[in-house]
Amino acid sequence: MTLISINNTPGYSCGSEAVSVIKTGEWRFVTPVKIDGLSPCRQDCPLGSSIPNWLDAVKRDDWAGAWEILSKTNPFPALTGHVCFNPCTINCNRRQIDQEIDIPGLEKAIGRWREKNYRPLNKKKPARGKVAVVGAGPAGLSCAYYLNKAGYELTVYEKSASIGGVPALGIPRYRLPEEVVRREAEMLREDGVSFVLNSALGRDFTLEDLYGVHDRIFLAIGAWVPRKAQIPGEEADGVRAALEFLENCNRNAVKNVKGMVVVIGGGNAAIDSARSALRLPDVSGVTLLYRRSREEMPADQREVAAAEEEGVNLIFNAAPREIKVNEGRACSIDFNHSRSAAGELVVDPKQKGSLECDTIITALGHEPDYTALGVMKTPGVVLAGGDLTGGPANVPEAIRTGRVAAEAIIGQLEGVSGQDPEKISNKAVTFEQLNLAAAGVLQKCGRQEDPRQEAERCLGCGSCNSCGVCYTFCPDLAVNTMNGRFELNLDYCKGCGICVTECPARALLMEGGRRW
Amino acid sequence: MKQEEKLLQEEMICQGHSACPGCGAALAVRYLTRAIGPNLAIALTASCWSIIAASPPLATLKCPVLHCPFPSAGAVGSGLRHGLNARGMYDTTVVILAGDGGTFDIGLQAMSGAAQRNEDVIFVCYDNEAYMNTGMQTSSATPFGARTNTAPYPLFKVGQKKDIMQIMASHGIPYAATATVAYPGDLEQKIRTARDIRGFRFIHILCPCPPGWGTEAADTILLSRLAVTSGAFPLYEVRDGCRWKLNRIEGIKKSLLKDYLIRQRRFKDIDRDRLRILQEEVDRDWEFLIEKERLSDRDDHQD
Amino acid sequence: MSYEFISGSQAAALAVQRVGVDLVAAYPITPQTAIVETLASFDALGSLGADFVSVESEYSALACCNGAAAAGARVFTATASHGLAYMHEMIHWCSGARLPIVMVNVNRCIGAPWCLDPDQGDSLSQRDTGWMQLYCSGAQEVFDTVLQAYRLSEELLLPCMVVFDGFYISHTYEAVDVPDPEKVREFIGPPAFEAQVRALTQLNIHGIVSGEQYHELVRRRHLAMMQAFGEFETINEHFNDLFGRCYGVIDAYIPAGADTVVLAAGAVAETVNWLLPVIEPVGLIKLKMFRPFPAVEICSLLEDNNIGKVIVIDRNCSVGAGGIFARELKAGLYNMKKKPEIYDLILAGGIDLDEKLLAVMLEKVATGKADHLEWGRWIY
Repeated sequence: MTLISINNTPGYSCGSEAVSVIKTGEWRFVTPVKIDGLSPCRQDCPLGSSIPNWLDAVKRDDWAGAWEILSKTNPFPALTGHVCFNPCTINCNRRQIDQEIDIPGLEKAIGRWREKNYRPLNKKKPARGKVAVVGAGPAGLSCAYYLNKAGYELTVYEKSASIGGVPALGIPRYRLPEEVVRREAEMLREDGVSFVLNSALGRDFTLEDLYGVHDRIFLAIGAWVPRKAQIPGEEADGVRAALEFLENCNRNAVKNVKGMVVVIGGGNAAIDSARSALRLPDVSGVTLLYRRSREEMPADQREVAAAEEEGVNLIFNAAPREIKVNEGRACSIDFNHSRSAAGELVVDPKQKGSLECDTIITALGHEPDYTALGVMKTPGVVLAGGDLTGGPANVPEAIRTGRVAAEAIIGQLEGVSGQDPEKISNKAVTFEQLNLAAAGVLQKCGRQEDPRQEAERCLGCGSCNSCGVCYTFCPDLAVNTMNGRFELNLDYCKGCGICVTECPARALLMEGGRRW
Repeated sequence: MKQEEKLLQEEMICQGHSACPGCGAALAVRYLTRAIGPNLAIALTASCWSIIAASPPLATLKCPVLHCPFPSAGAVGSGLRHGLNARGMYDTTVVILAGDGGTFDIGLQAMSGAAQRNEDVIFVCYDNEAYMNTGMQTSSATPFGARTNTAPYPLFKVGQKKDIMQIMASHGIPYAATATVAYPGDLEQKIRTARDIRGFRFIHILCPCPPGWGTEAADTILLSRLAVTSGAFPLYEVRDGCRWKLNRIEGIKKSLLKDYLIRQRRFKDIDRDRLRILQEEVDRDWEFLIEKERLSDRDDHQD
Repeated sequence: MSYEFISGSQAAALAVQRVGVDLVAAYPITPQTAIVETLASFDALGSLGADFVSVESEYSALACCNGAAAAGARVFTATASHGLAYMHEMIHWCSGARLPIVMVNVNRCIGAPWCLDPDQGDSLSQRDTGWMQLYCSGAQEVFDTVLQAYRLSEELLLPCMVVFDGFYISHTYEAVDVPDPEKVREFIGPPAFEAQVRALTQLNIHGIVSGEQYHELVRRRHLAMMQAFGEFETINEHFNDLFGRCYGVIDAYIPAGADTVVLAAGAVAETVNWLLPVIEPVGLIKLKMFRPFPAVEICSLLEDNNIGKVIVIDRNCSVGAGGIFARELKAGLYNMKKKPEIYDLILAGGIDLDEKLLAVMLEKVATGKADHLEWGRWIY
């Protein structure tokens, strides 16, 4: 070793060159690896969104990054932020400290960012292919978004005059402002998606018409045919189906809904109808009849509670028997006590009740209009999704089916096998598994107004949330920081594993060889 | 938690040093030098850091480090302070960095002399509880019951760990504090407090040592935390040798002592009697501290 | 010239005060205590101008000097005997650290058993530590040598020990010319050597090196110290210009026709100097600089004067080997074509050299009856 350092000094040992020329990473025989684990929110999200990852991006003020992560599974955060029932928040581990993260609020914030920073897609010519989407609801729009982004030419056919499906026509404005869906539609238009409105499958065109022009067809016509109550008096005036009623509410075209309103049903449409009816000027009161118990209601319990708080009268275990008609108009509804027993509905003929009413709204579910489909000659060319295909009937589920269909179409047309989903754990990280001692004193601060501060409350739960604990506790400074992110510097990492032990979010694992 | 790239620039140690994986002492010096800042001169006596500081022409610390012989830390540091003053460099903080050997044993005399003279230095003892640089031999900082290479199985360290904080407190120095690497915020706060006081300041930092304690390298922070939460290593400050203040950390559970010991192979096969003695020692020291704190409060309120 | 009637210890203290140091590290040990006490009295009068630090041991005294010198300060400490032995590790360290430290060692026996008399074994047993060693024979020489030691050590960046006998020199009084501070400042100004510890700089000072690096560092240290001969001469020329006195690494008086010379260092050299008229034609080589050892100068002198016999006065004994000055001389003369006979007179324990003892020794040497190793109290 040459004595560079002592040439210029009067002959004593003195070092002045940084020791970082020595890459101590070469000494390592086990390596820490950042993983993307499964968080409870991600597990419960119908879209499978990498929620902690985009929360981390928001925390770091990287909104573009947050949008990029989120839009991989959810292209309409403004929409879902308003209308999704947020199963993600139910098992949020942050609840065990103060309050769950306001994921829907942050989704809305990303949606607002997306609108403000929207730039039309720079579409490459020529298109890779042509795809027709029938139905401009969330499923159809989602499929159109992903295929359009992948370079396909999209035409969306819609029966009504509006784009948006149930969100536009069936979800009340107090839950979803009108401009949300309108803006999504505008952005899709500017991105190059064509819409053909007032064009119904079966009535205005058939599947055969589409076959010749398009490489693939995605059917997402939804389920709009209301189920009947099948009780006497159902055809009288003053009795109407929920979706039709809600659609009229959204178009400010409600006629003849007044006085005492009775809503029959226990789903979200029933609650929406009840709360919408309450807001009408001529309505004096609203009662909801459901034939099973409160806990068994398919509607979101928060909506039920909101309805009750607003003054909707809830009557459970009441099965309608007959609608009494007076001069052609419904005037009261008779019902029997009913309950669930071993999965069956048991109606008690002896216990009866009756409610006077002026209007009855039936919210008993909807069926798809299969007759519109016609006969399909080449089934392989057609995919379907959304409420048309059954399954959970909610907006995120519909969006998911649209994306799955888009990926399937791309796979079929381009011959690439679908990308295997990232291999992540099957079990979501629990609160007990988190190493919160390392995160320092966690303030029980509750919900934060500022989106970045709110996102900072996220504990990560299996994904890196840029807390910097690995950087703090690394004896070798083998963690790089850049733009608020923390990445391991394998040039200097000796594989001690302190970061793996201390990571509060459990986002690091040790891999390779033998441990010390 | 700051999130800018300049984080690495603020660090006063360089990457690439030769500390063992999981070294508690590397973290201790990282935190303390970062807390003081660049205008720092270190007198470093024989210890693990003599090697971690690198071999010329290389250097690990970004400030001047003056190596000195084993017993001399307190005296060389004192001289360094006087010399810097003579050359007009009053703002350069002088830190004396010694291991437990260079503080409790061979260095005790020089440290005591410097403390008695109230020399304007910060004496930092990074304590891995044995002579680790030479391969884990017993020092008077080794806890009772631990095994070392000069007290190997079936022998163990007889005699309690020296209460160095009491020794320093009885010198009446302006500031003394304990700290450990699992609580970097607390450690850095104490260093900053010390930096702004004139006179002899003493900081005692517990540093887990994976090879010496027989622990997983990955558990260094966990152990350091357990040392505090089990009550084995209380965090406290003493001002002017007479005002004691415990830094309360939530969740001190005496029952954690067994968890703390069981992870360390130097305490392997520790029998019930020895465990009981250790537990009694921990309890007694806590009572002592609480009483001292109570007396300090009483004296403060009498003013 | 302005004369003070002072002891050797006071002379040393005055010299330190005139030179202007930044730090005095003080620890008492007989027979040097008066040095640090005198410096303390200057501090009390406000005329010291240095930090006076009462440390808790000699080791810490030298360690304190080490730390201060590393920061670029001029330092001083004094010790003797056991104190010197105690700081042995630090003495090595200061040399390897290339620090210009000046330390006075007042010779005293090292136990066991306790003994306060001046044996030179304490300073001589540190001869391998890499310090320069300058021996003094009187209070004036002590004063002058301390001044010169600072110039020498700061020039070569090696520490320098100024040595004189306990009690014979430390506690006896003579008239010493003590120049004014301004005059001294002409000879040596404020410390100008580069500090090793420089703030805001990445420096790993005295960090661990390999054997290869150590080899090179020792070589450089050795080469540096070998320049002391020339440097000492230059310093003394300047000293002579300013103060009208000078010293050589050796000072000799060899009358014409001399066959025998006495070689001595310290107080005994002055004794022999006094007795020169009586012992004619025996000459005297007063050894002042012991490290580095002026072998070349001594060899030339012996050859030029055709000396056949050298009597070395050793106020010390390296048990198992003999007197240290004699051994060093023999090693230094090894390459002479015609080597003189060397007789070693051991005065370990500070035995006084009086006229009678010297006469007996010279007689025995002249008549060929002397053993090559003679013990001062067994010679009769």
